[in-house]
Amino acid sequence: MLGFLLSRQRPPEARRINDDVIMRFDHVYEVAPGKMDLFPQQDIPAWDTLRIVASRWDHLAWMHDHWADSVLGVEELESEADDPDLDGIQASGVPSG
Amino acid sequence: MTADAPYDPTSDGELQQEFVEQWRNAAYGCFSSGHKFCREVCPVMQVTRNENHTPTAFHANVVAMEQGAYGIADVAEDYVHCTQCGACELRCPNTLFTGDFYRNRTQTVKLVKAMRALAVDSGVEQPHWKRWIEATVDRRNEPVLEVPVEQERVRDWAEGLDLATGGETVLFVDCEAAFFRTSVARSTAQVLNAAGVEFGLMREQWCCGGPASEMGYTAHARNFAEHNVADWRAIGARRIITLDPHDYITFTEDYPTYFGAAYDFEILHITELVADLVRDGKLTFTQPIERVVTYHDPCRLNKRKGIHESPREILRAIPGLTFKDVDHVTQWSYCSGAGAGLAIEKPEITAEISRRRVTQAADLGVDALVSACVWSERPLSEQGAKLEQPLDVIDLMELVAQAAGVDGRGVTAVRSGGAVAGVRGGEASRGAPEALA
Amino acid sequence: MTAPPIAQSDPFLDELRSILGPDGVRADKPARWNRTRVPAPFPVHRWADYAPDVVVLPRTAQEIAGVVRLANRHGIPVVPRAGATGLNDGAVPLRRGIIVDVKRMNQIREIDLVDRTVTVGPGINMLKLNEELRKHGVMFPDDPASYPCSLVGGRIGTSGWSLIGGRYGHTRDLVISFEIVLPTGEIIRVGDGGGRKIRKSSTGYQLKHLFMGHQGTLGIVTEATLELVPRPEVEFAAFFHYPSFQAAYESTGALTKSGLATLAGVVLFDEWKLRYLRRDDEAYIPQAENVRAVVATAMYGTRDEVKPAARRLVRTARESGGTYLGDEVSQGDWAARHDRYATPLHGRLRTTGQVVPMSWHCEDAAINYSALPQVMEEWHAIADRIIDRYGIFDDWGMFFYTNAAHKPWGDYLVEIDIGIWEQKLDDVNWAGWVEAKHDIAAVALKYGGSITACHGATREGDAELAAEEMGGGFEVMKAIKRVLDPNNIMNPGKYELDTAYDPNAPSPFSGRRTGGN
Repeated sequence: MLGFLLSRQRPPEARRINDDVIMRFDHVYEVAPGKMDLFPQQDIPAWDTLRIVASRWDHLAWMHDHWADSVLGVEELESEADDPDLDGIQASGVPSG
Repeated sequence: MTADAPYDPTSDGELQQEFVEQWRNAAYGCFSSGHKFCREVCPVMQVTRNENHTPTAFHANVVAMEQGAYGIADVAEDYVHCTQCGACELRCPNTLFTGDFYRNRTQTVKLVKAMRALAVDSGVEQPHWKRWIEATVDRRNEPVLEVPVEQERVRDWAEGLDLATGGETVLFVDCEAAFFRTSVARSTAQVLNAAGVEFGLMREQWCCGGPASEMGYTAHARNFAEHNVADWRAIGARRIITLDPHDYITFTEDYPTYFGAAYDFEILHITELVADLVRDGKLTFTQPIERVVTYHDPCRLNKRKGIHESPREILRAIPGLTFKDVDHVTQWSYCSGAGAGLAIEKPEITAEISRRRVTQAADLGVDALVSACVWSERPLSEQGAKLEQPLDVIDLMELVAQAAGVDGRGVTAVRSGGAVAGVRGGEASRGAPEALA
Repeated sequence: MTAPPIAQSDPFLDELRSILGPDGVRADKPARWNRTRVPAPFPVHRWADYAPDVVVLPRTAQEIAGVVRLANRHGIPVVPRAGATGLNDGAVPLRRGIIVDVKRMNQIREIDLVDRTVTVGPGINMLKLNEELRKHGVMFPDDPASYPCSLVGGRIGTSGWSLIGGRYGHTRDLVISFEIVLPTGEIIRVGDGGGRKIRKSSTGYQLKHLFMGHQGTLGIVTEATLELVPRPEVEFAAFFHYPSFQAAYESTGALTKSGLATLAGVVLFDEWKLRYLRRDDEAYIPQAENVRAVVATAMYGTRDEVKPAARRLVRTARESGGTYLGDEVSQGDWAARHDRYATPLHGRLRTTGQVVPMSWHCEDAAINYSALPQVMEEWHAIADRIIDRYGIFDDWGMFFYTNAAHKPWGDYLVEIDIGIWEQKLDDVNWAGWVEAKHDIAAVALKYGGSITACHGATREGDAELAAEEMGGGFEVMKAIKRVLDPNNIMNPGKYELDTAYDPNAPSPFSGRRTGGN
């Protein structure tokens, strides 16, 4: 399905993550609807939830790019096992000293 | 404390009270943030730099109205200053960071439409919009300027193409494409034919009603929708292809609210379809296009729908083309200024937004700006033509038609400007509705 | 001094129009009401009390000078307004008058890649500026939480703090010189000495620092010459978690004292902040229970510098008890901190747990490292008291950010984030809030700190303590104010500077607070 179909905009059934949080779409947390009695939720179609989530990640990637040419991660640092500078770094997080 | 005469909250009657009641929570959602991350992405604010025109003010006014500080007549003109591009509501942290979590996001576009409707319903009308909508009702199609608009001529653009009427798949051709930039409509139809997509036209296509809805004329908008959906049902349509992002918004956001669950049409935008056809090998690009181009993300595709990949995928598939891209997040703050009636009521602001956009494109060293929104192409073309090194503005479907080896040029030179040469329209743009008088 | 209100038909407006042109003057209600407040605590139930009489939208320093001279002749207050994103109330008029909104002065006037400066109008935003500067491989690294919306004029007006100031310096370090219209209308340029692009001079008094953080009480900035730094090759962000605040606190000390020059900032999150983030932040909802406090670190610079330094940093964090939170959380959260203003739906009612829209009130102070744990305990106790008593507040936890440029070890920007349900504000709970603010500021002073690291201390609740913090220096401040602004037209009422003119001048806030507690 490439296009929009109204009948496909209803979000999937929720599953509970904890007392305050549920999940409908994979990896997308949502507030437990019972907490929104005073400030009502909107009828947000599926496409819009997915758009917001994708836009957030796009925005964060953009922000990294805005500040520097590249991003260095700890995983990259630790993957270079032959590097003599690696002294003392352990992936487990256990203090080495 | 102040020299202001006290505001009489009864003067606007129940309409305003109902409006405030409906929007007060949403207004506080913005008011209580106060961060204004919307301001610098707003294309209108980038030009006017007037805080009255910020999405923050658009929300805060509701709080002020709730306090009885002022009424719709005081603010109606401020709300003209919006293209409903959606940048503000997407960039708002209430949307971008928490909108999905709370199932509650900033809805500035909806608020602007509602405030404009309150104005119209309260008898506070903008003169140019009033005449535009009256003419649209009269002609069943928007009175796009410089060309004759009559219902009888709504499919003149298809002359000689031998297109069917009706069927499961319908191509909806926007007013600007049907009457003014006909090369977009012809290119689209011929590309679909070349890819073997079966489709027909409506028996009697009317304006989608989106512009009326955007300007606050809700009853008229609904009438257009009723007609079009009845036509779709009568011809057995199941799938509607849009070539204009504004229509795509109207059919996926306005129409569902009118018709509810009974609205069971698949709405498909042309860039999504064409990218899929290219991917599947059903549409092949045989003609190299030796040009250097950049792409203008139409606001209603990129910001409001998250559609930014398919146009890029298409451009990258065209042989010979040098594509200098500007990423779609940077383009959240770009616009042509053509949307939501701004060009009709404030053409000078539209022109300045477009001037900035073509200047940004020209700075990349390209010789053409490719858009996928027919409404953007007139103001962008006007400003592109004024540059020291004139810049062509091309519709993506015009480019696709050329690459696919089909002749997408419009029915007359005056009305189309040609597939790749770009339209060098007159100064009128959508403003100067004196022409309607 | 309180001038009578300006009527909409007042000839004064015609005088303004003769200076600014018809499109430069707006006296309509929406124009004035929408330029009344900022995100700082604001008694929305008394909005009308604060609305200015008229708004002007200048394009040049000369126009502003004309407005200021006219205001002096008529004795009408003038309040400058740039982005209006401040967490203090510098841009909120206390005595109506004229709002000078500088957003139209947002031009880039010169990019000097040889002497490494950019000269801009005060109405330009840093993100938009950096989009242009990127084409030249340089940037202006002033990075507040309002980075995408605050404007250079306001950064100078508040003497702002930058998230990456440990590496690059804060606003006062990054603004080389600026042009300012004085309260009597003269246009002068201040810097370190006289040269527009000179960073260090010993000529004369250091006037740049006098006007930095003026909160609109000493004039209106009309142009600024800013620092350009090389665009970083690499960004490195690493977040570590700890089983307790104490462990995170000690690790923070080890990290900030590491002496790594590329270290741009260290941020300590307390246990309240972690509980708050678990409500709705996708990075923290799934974290295990033993994730009780977090330390965020970031580095910028060339790859050659950052890579070995990052290794050293990670080692230090782990040796001091930290566990890495992973690249996804570290990089995702860090990227979100360049525009980290709270959203209203973070708000929860303590009684029912219901979500309500709360305004974010970020109370800041500058506190030495040694006092951070005590200040944390006492501030949370104050928040706890008003939450129970009024039912419209919420405690969103605390952050501790490295504060000094290039010397991140000694003092911290400390903030407690408190939600306020503005829809329920009235005189009684507003007075309760002001009292709490006052108590929060008093704790900062008790521990030898400063009321504010970056927002400014002009707010009701803070301003009363500014004189105490400054001691004899406040008498100098009043003397300066009296000399430069003889008619007290620039942002009158702020910092209780009315006492510069009349030792018995009433507080600008008295008469507005009718509730009390």
